[in-house]
Amino acid sequence: MSGEGAGRWPAPFAFPQTLSTSVIWRADNGGHEGATMTNTAVHMTGVVKRFPGVVANDGVEFDVRKGEVHALLGENGAGKSTLSNILTGLYRPDEGTIELDGVPVSFASPKAALDAGIGMVHQHFRLVQPFTVAENVVLGNPQTPFTINAGDVNKQVAELALRFDMAVDPAARIWQLSVGEQQRVEILKVLHRGAQVLILDEPTAVLTPIEAEALFRTLRTMTAEGRTVIFISHKLDEVMSVSDRITVLRGGRTVGTVETKSTSARELASMMVGRSVEFNRVVRGRPGNPRDVVLSVQGVNGNDDRGRQALHNVNITVGRGEIVGVAGVAGNGQRELAEVIAGMRPATDGSVSVGGNTLPNGKARAAIAGGLAHVPEDRLHTGLAAGMSVEDNMALKTYRTPLLSRFGMLRRNAMTEQATELVTRYDVKTPDTATPVRLLSGGNVQKVLLSREFSTNPLVLVAASPTRGLDVGAIETVRNRLVEAADAGVGILLISEDLEEIMSLADRITVMYEGRIVADIPAANASREQIGMLMGGATLENAQ
Amino acid sequence: MNSNLLIIIAAQAIFYGTPLFFAALGGVFTERSGVLNLGVEGMMLVGGVSAAWSSQHIEGPAWFTVLGSLLVAMFAASLVAAVHAFLCVTLKANQTVAGLSITIFAGAVGLSSYLANVWHVAERQVDRPIRKLDVLGMADTPIAGPLLFNHTILTYVSWVMCAVATWYLFRTKIGLQLRAVGESPQTADAIGISVVKYRYLHTMLGGSLAGLGGAFYSLAIVPTWVDGMTKGAGWIAIALVIFGFWRPDLTLLGAYLFGALQALGIQLKSRSVGIPGDLLDAIPFVMTIIVLVLVSTRFAHKRIGAPASLGVPYEREER
Amino acid sequence: MKSPVRLERRLHQPKQLNWAIPLVSLLGALVVGALVLLATGKNPIDVYWRMLDRGFLSERALTGTLRTATPLAFTGLCATAAFRLGVINIGGEGQLYMGAVGASLVGLQMGGTAPVGVTIVVMVLAGMLFGAMYAGFVGMLRAQFNTSEIITSLMMNYLAGILLNYLIFNSTSYWRDPRSFGFPSGKPLEKRDFWPAYDVLGISIPFGLVLAALFAFVLWVIYKRSRLGFEVEVIADSPRAARYVGIRTKWTIIAVTAMSGALAGAGGASQVGDFAHYLDAKGLQLNGFGYTGIVVAALARLNPIGALFVAVLLGGLTNAGYSLQGPDFPSGLVGTLQGLILFCAVAGEILTKYRIRSNASAVTA
Repeated sequence: MSGEGAGRWPAPFAFPQTLSTSVIWRADNGGHEGATMTNTAVHMTGVVKRFPGVVANDGVEFDVRKGEVHALLGENGAGKSTLSNILTGLYRPDEGTIELDGVPVSFASPKAALDAGIGMVHQHFRLVQPFTVAENVVLGNPQTPFTINAGDVNKQVAELALRFDMAVDPAARIWQLSVGEQQRVEILKVLHRGAQVLILDEPTAVLTPIEAEALFRTLRTMTAEGRTVIFISHKLDEVMSVSDRITVLRGGRTVGTVETKSTSARELASMMVGRSVEFNRVVRGRPGNPRDVVLSVQGVNGNDDRGRQALHNVNITVGRGEIVGVAGVAGNGQRELAEVIAGMRPATDGSVSVGGNTLPNGKARAAIAGGLAHVPEDRLHTGLAAGMSVEDNMALKTYRTPLLSRFGMLRRNAMTEQATELVTRYDVKTPDTATPVRLLSGGNVQKVLLSREFSTNPLVLVAASPTRGLDVGAIETVRNRLVEAADAGVGILLISEDLEEIMSLADRITVMYEGRIVADIPAANASREQIGMLMGGATLENAQ
Repeated sequence: MNSNLLIIIAAQAIFYGTPLFFAALGGVFTERSGVLNLGVEGMMLVGGVSAAWSSQHIEGPAWFTVLGSLLVAMFAASLVAAVHAFLCVTLKANQTVAGLSITIFAGAVGLSSYLANVWHVAERQVDRPIRKLDVLGMADTPIAGPLLFNHTILTYVSWVMCAVATWYLFRTKIGLQLRAVGESPQTADAIGISVVKYRYLHTMLGGSLAGLGGAFYSLAIVPTWVDGMTKGAGWIAIALVIFGFWRPDLTLLGAYLFGALQALGIQLKSRSVGIPGDLLDAIPFVMTIIVLVLVSTRFAHKRIGAPASLGVPYEREER
Repeated sequence: MKSPVRLERRLHQPKQLNWAIPLVSLLGALVVGALVLLATGKNPIDVYWRMLDRGFLSERALTGTLRTATPLAFTGLCATAAFRLGVINIGGEGQLYMGAVGASLVGLQMGGTAPVGVTIVVMVLAGMLFGAMYAGFVGMLRAQFNTSEIITSLMMNYLAGILLNYLIFNSTSYWRDPRSFGFPSGKPLEKRDFWPAYDVLGISIPFGLVLAALFAFVLWVIYKRSRLGFEVEVIADSPRAARYVGIRTKWTIIAVTAMSGALAGAGGASQVGDFAHYLDAKGLQLNGFGYTGIVVAALARLNPIGALFVAVLLGGLTNAGYSLQGPDFPSGLVGTLQGLILFCAVAGEILTKYRIRSNASAVTA
């Protein structure tokens, strides 16, 4: 039953069934079907998405009003990315419904979502570097005319940018722009396409505070126009300052939706990480000695791959047999820190010492020789050579030693022996030592890595996300091995996004936020909410 | 005046440079889409032999025979290019090896020679060669005559093509999308641009232009078919693409530069002048290496470098 | 446009593929070649039989085949050595020329004054040195400036050819035979310095081929058993892992490229010492041994020992082509077949990495 026609007749002359209030209401609102709340921009209910081995979204409820800035908050693995990927058409939900403006929709592809008015600004930009800003904005827009006149296009883009209070030069080339400016181009792209709902994924992760302020002003301008913004983040202070309402996800479910005005950082943190349950702290055979320092990171500054500063004056010490946890949401400098310590990345300031000896800056071989072991986040392509055999990978750090090579030639028998011994000792499930490591299961891949690192008898082990993606049995094994090593005197720097892991294994907990160590407290004194708040950017005093 | 060495060389430069330009322009299109084509030499030769054969078999007025031969040449070469596109885009093979295999397959001791043999192409002269024209009757005017008014139709076509290609690449939406495919196929794909389609089309376009260049050899320069008659022009065309910074206008200039060196070499030899012709021959290659090194530096790479995805097969990341 | 099939990355790489793929490529090429022959009015059975005969079976066939196989073995090893690291050195052609220049220089200098064994060793070393330096330059550009070794090595091929022309045709250089006025040619070595050939069962095996076999073995040992080979494998597998372990990638690239050039250079030395006995500018450039070497390496799937066998195979093909040259035998057939073999090898290579899956039941995300 169409609403438009009914709306034109004055009530007494309309057909009987159109005398309900919903008709008059519909007429006011331009003929929408269905008696739903039309100030809802996005309504997702009962959304379920499963992947092999994990339920990423387990019945999520998500409701966003038009013209608001709505934050989506949660830890890594809470399901935020999956949800936004469903909303932008990259994934299809296994169950549940999505409604836009009260109309049920189903997206077959990202293009369909874009056409429907949903635009996403990703963390990793998709820009063509040599092109100008204007060229990037009009690329792929079906409405762009066949012949492109640079002058017209530049003017168009300049006008759009002005309207949303964004400073950007349409004729500038992308490689000339700062990261903040590049992000503005990404936003212009979706605005140019007519997006009514914008989703920003961790937008301030790459911005300076001033650029973040400019972004927030732009978001306000957009919502004043009636557009809707969904802001995905883990930073509590920003979320508190820029959003109208906040939805918190945990474990694939919606914990709740609150009005920003009436909540606090503490409440949010507790929603994000859960009630303070008495979890099992691991029982240590021999406690560590923080005073017998085996790893000392002093005043380290470092840059990321783009050349921006990722580490700010980082100071960490690890004592013999201590497990020091580095908590924090991914992307706050953890990878750069691990790489600097391991000699894979030169520090721009400061120094790293292992066992009392200062390591030469940026030399991986020296770090290895100095007694440093490193289990990186990227197991298969950094820590291991995926296509090479178990045997070869076991020898990756020791192939230069006299045990395994002589006169430049490898002693293959010794290598096989070593590999077989390690495989047995660490219970690695593999058909044989000649199998390529990429064929092994995740847990066994990690066991190969760990066993190799331990076999070098290191003084220090830097372990980054050691149990991510592993099944329950493998997780337990890996954690046991770490504790075993610590009991034997190895100093362990455990970098992990899994707060539970850190809280159960670490003797001391440090928190990394935006490249800085913001806290360093004994585990016994730390609470979950406190760490959660620190991970979200709160200062130590506020988190007490 | 017009027998002045400089004028002669300039005019000859344009003449010899024309086929180089066609092949190189083809290379520009192909590489702009991200595909490296080392099979240019083979495609030129296939074009050349097809043109020669067609010229001997198409009946009708001279212009009809010539046009027909050129079209056949372009078509035949584009078929070879389609094979290259299939290897590189669909099978995601190593583009270098694929291109080399095309050159070996179709090259001087390959298919082009085989077909010439089987079709008995070399036995007759091409009796409808492409001759130089006398435009507006001004072929004899001083200086401007030989430089502007005394070229073959293909040379004039090449000038028009240069302008059209520049417009196409830098002022149309399709050209923008093509360049996006070459610079960042992931971005293009995410936007909904078909990387596969663009790469196939532009590889085949590139091949057909190479075939046109090859036809110039067998119909205008020599004009008859000789096995391997392009004598490495295809490889020079590949160098020219880099030399011209992947821009049609600079490629045209570069082609004339290389053509000038060729012409200079011929003229000097015929006058028994002492400058070693070999030195002249070497200049294009040395210059290409220098240009390539400059273009690889981080400074230049951002501004004028090769399309970023050149030579890398595109694999859509599975989620 | 959805295609009916899709390529899916393989997890396993069954060992049988190692020899199955080259074999199937060969057969595939022969089949397509037969179709081409039929389409142009020739009898494939007849042509193939004659090629088999002239390549391998008839009386002097094998001698000629091994003669052609020798340079192919060297350039095949050259390509193999570099490709395994992921450095696409297509400069084997130019590196072979430079090796010939170096070896002939030294050989002429020795002028029969030393025992032939010494002369040979010195010639080989000179050839390898010239080839190594020529290739090392390309490697250096790649390591230091990340310049594409494909184009630079290609350009260097042309420069080397120009050098050959200069030395023999366009100047009175040391290499040129002063007695050859009518048609310039290279100065010949002393008869003493000719490299020997070994007569085995009526087949003449050139010393160069024996040398190539030795090099093939050494290359195999290096890649399978040495630290350098191990590091090369790591770099080729994952540059990040190489960084993680502290492998000096830049030096490795230069060293391996130089090694690859040395192998081609030795091939150049063999051309001078075994066959031409002078710097044959025309002959070297006519044959394109360097480029065919790439076909050899690709078909042998980068296995050095396999490269030897493939070199003999392709040598037979080429040799048959030469000896059958005439009005009856289409001249471009050899190149066409070689190209087809390479196509099929390339296509077959894909099958080692991907499996063909039907798209009928695919569920889109």
